Amino acid sequence: MVRRLLALTSGRIAAVILALIALLALLGPLLSPQDPLAGSADILADPGPHHWLGTDYLGRDVLSRLLAGSRLSVLGALQVTVMALLVGVIPGILSVYLGRAFEWVTLRLADTLIALPFLVFAVAVTALLGNGIPQAMLTVGIMVSPLFFRVSRAATLSVARSQYVEAAIIAGASVGWIVRRHVWTKVLPPIAIALAHTAGVGFVVVSSLTFLGIGVRPPAPTWGGILASDLGFLSYRPWAPLLPTALIMATVWACNLLADAIRDVSGEAGRALLDNRKLRGRLAVAGRGA
Amino acid sequence: MSDAALRLTDVRIHDAVGDRDIVHGVSFELTPGKVVGIVGESGSGKTLTCRAVLGILPRHFSVTGGTIELAGRDTSGLTQREWTGLRGTTVGAVFQDPASYLNPSIRIGAQLAEVVRVKKGLTRREARRRALDLLSSVRLREPDLVYRQYPHELSGGMLQRVLIAAAIAADPQLLIADEATTALDVTVQAEILDLLTELRERTGMALIVVSHDLAVVAQLCDEVLVMRDGIVVEQGPTARVLYDPRHDYTRLLIAEHEQYGLDRFRDAAEPALSKELDHVG
Amino acid sequence: MSGAGLGTARLRRAAARTASVAARSIAIFVPVFLVATFVTFALRSLSGLSPAHLQLGESATPESLARIEHEWGLDRPFLTQYLDWFGKVLSGDLGTSWYNGADISRLLTEGAVISLSVAGLALLIGVVFGFGFGILAALRRTTWVDRVITGAMTFISVMPSFVVGIALVAVFAVSLDWLPSAGWVPAERGFGLWLAHITLPAIALSFDTVSDVARQLRAGLVAAYRENYVTGALVRGLGPRRIFFRHVLRNGIGPALTVLGLKFPNLLGGAVVTEAVFGMPGFGQFAAASAQRGDVPAVQGVLVVSIVLVVVFNLLVNLILARLTPASARGV
Ligand SMILES: Nc1ncnc2c1ncn2[C@@H]1O[C@H](COP(=O)(O)OP(=O)(O)OP(=O)(O)O)[C@@H](O)[C@H]1O
Ligand SMILES: [Mg+2]
Repeated sequence: MVRRLLALTSGRIAAVILALIALLALLGPLLSPQDPLAGSADILADPGPHHWLGTDYLGRDVLSRLLAGSRLSVLGALQVTVMALLVGVIPGILSVYLGRAFEWVTLRLADTLIALPFLVFAVAVTALLGNGIPQAMLTVGIMVSPLFFRVSRAATLSVARSQYVEAAIIAGASVGWIVRRHVWTKVLPPIAIALAHTAGVGFVVVSSLTFLGIGVRPPAPTWGGILASDLGFLSYRPWAPLLPTALIMATVWACNLLADAIRDVSGEAGRALLDNRKLRGRLAVAGRGA
Repeated sequence: MSDAALRLTDVRIHDAVGDRDIVHGVSFELTPGKVVGIVGESGSGKTLTCRAVLGILPRHFSVTGGTIELAGRDTSGLTQREWTGLRGTTVGAVFQDPASYLNPSIRIGAQLAEVVRVKKGLTRREARRRALDLLSSVRLREPDLVYRQYPHELSGGMLQRVLIAAAIAADPQLLIADEATTALDVTVQAEILDLLTELRERTGMALIVVSHDLAVVAQLCDEVLVMRDGIVVEQGPTARVLYDPRHDYTRLLIAEHEQYGLDRFRDAAEPALSKELDHVG
Repeated sequence: MSGAGLGTARLRRAAARTASVAARSIAIFVPVFLVATFVTFALRSLSGLSPAHLQLGESATPESLARIEHEWGLDRPFLTQYLDWFGKVLSGDLGTSWYNGADISRLLTEGAVISLSVAGLALLIGVVFGFGFGILAALRRTTWVDRVITGAMTFISVMPSFVVGIALVAVFAVSLDWLPSAGWVPAERGFGLWLAHITLPAIALSFDTVSDVARQLRAGLVAAYRENYVTGALVRGLGPRRIFFRHVLRNGIGPALTVLGLKFPNLLGGAVVTEAVFGMPGFGQFAAASAQRGDVPAVQGVLVVSIVLVVVFNLLVNLILARLTPASARGV
């Protein structure tokens, strides 16, 4: 699957961008040419040999702040994704097997959670649980978990109702084998798609929160925070938001691109199945007609 | 002569994607009140031929040879607007899977009334009357009730009647029934065939009947075309083709039917057995 | 006579259906409302937040803390507090702010007026442009028009609203100086002025809606065009315009409307950030400020109001959907 993904141009682009971002997150703070927190008298400087991206209103080096802020964004997105995965998938699978009442309750809950404004809730929860990105991400993760709930439920349903699993059970296959052989191949692609999507949402949410100054203490460098301070000095440096904006958008775009690429790659199996069924239908009709 | 409701001369249909001809030269003529049957295996081009007559070939398909004359009018140069004018009033059609050919979110009555209002310029009230008349003319019991129902509330046989009613609403000279009875069970199928016969006799409209089922063709048609892979392998009066087939493929078709031991040419009523055989096939 | 009887019967049936759709939507949200408020309340007790921290800061002595908590009734049993608060919520009273003792309902109403004007305009832009682009792309499907629109929609869908906001400010307020970059003017002080102040925020907020509505509508319409009933209408001799408006649009609009219903919470969430970009003292700013201050009753009020707004909006969308596609309302 990974190989087929990389065979796709969109898959390759997404992989490259995401790999770069991951590298930034790992090495960014080390790569920072200067102390991202150290101010200087040289405020709102234009880009130059000393400050490649200029300085902000406190004279801090923007490039260093951008690099230092990448880890927080990536970690935030990861937190959302993992949380949503944990909270969504297990009830999603169980809702198929644990009976009517459980199914009803979880379905309603999922419908409702997804309908609520998660950013508002994330902001609100930081008031109650203390100001921090993990708290906010926990909330967002729970609130977007219905996505995982739905895909894992749909995949489980299709497996549970399908005849090859029944046939395998009748043939005496072990549960482990069935899960490995049939469930994973069906459940994995949609979950991978949901993961990519959620990571994109996570990046937007982290940037939005840090833009608002929620979840972090002021001097800490964040992508959103850089944008917020740029906003105040647009008339001096109107181009300043370009790079952080491009960074955020490229990341989100790469996540969506990855999701689409996975859909294309895994959709192939689905389409083949469909064609086959049509083919078999055709054959049956042909057998009748001729 | 232009008293023919439909005349096809050596019609070829081309698939631009596969870059190949799908239908290789179909010719027949249909005068008012007559019935032509088209039989043949799946994928032999029956539906495409019908769609060509209706001017609704799928994307990438086109008529690349021969002529189609509807009521004496060559259809090759028709504009979209002219086609819209012809459909419904000159030629109508019903298909397999009738439920899917009705809008699921509009009541039956409104869909019928829409046709007569657009095609015949009736007022709202006249259209309602006419729609109710149509519903009773296809022998639906309780037209008032059906008028107010949604498609999903009706059975397959009833839906096919509704579809026929919609197709004949603007009094076309030609009705195409493409496997109109295939999905229905045998008794309902017989009723629909009776209805078609009756409508033909009453209105003098011409019919094209496409079917897999030789029994249907035998019951209804004056002339039969046997198609295979886009080629008409045999064509002639029904009785001649069925009792004195000249082409091997026709013989095969007939043999299949006889092999199942059903005298379905005259008597079409052995649902249980034929269903079972379908499963085997 | 019998015609009138038929009419009233149909009316009654329509009313019953509307009521059942409404009941279902509300029934889903009531438990969530209870759980959400209960959890926030419980979290407050657990977190040990109190108005004393806001009022006294670090200088709080245990005695003054206890005194203030007593004044706010926070020393009562948890359940009593919750029921008390809940009872007041039902009568529209959201309590008073820990921060400045102001009436939260009033503060929220003031903020909501601002946010709803922006969200309303954003919704309008989203519907108009989303429908326009979606329909255009569907009618010209697989042509370059379709590809350009689809590409543009994908592009703007990855732009977070505060990014769009900053870009709009940079271009239209700072560089071109066409519209004000920040602030809010009530409509009573001049409609033009009001509109000028909410236009940029509304555009920023609408991007996400425009792109999602356009894409869903395109997909819905393209799928509807593939349906057999379109062929059916075609062979009955109906014209392309009639087929589009009466048959395709009606059946293909569902996903777009559903997405519109789901977008409303995003508009509320987006309000939190766009209001920060444009310095508007709306609902979102209030939420963010209260959260940063640790003003728990205000935050709870924000949650209550957003849940209620979401319920109302979903209800509207469900009712419209039920009217358009009666079959789906009955779960058929
Ligand atoms: N929309 C389409 N796209 C691609 N190929 C098509 C399409 N419609 C028909 N074909 C092809 O054209 C050929 C003839 O199809 P047609 O539908 O006319 O067959 P038919 O005789 O009606 O078969 P059946 O008995 O199954 O209805 C087939 O090979 C089919 O695969
Ligand atoms: Mg066919």
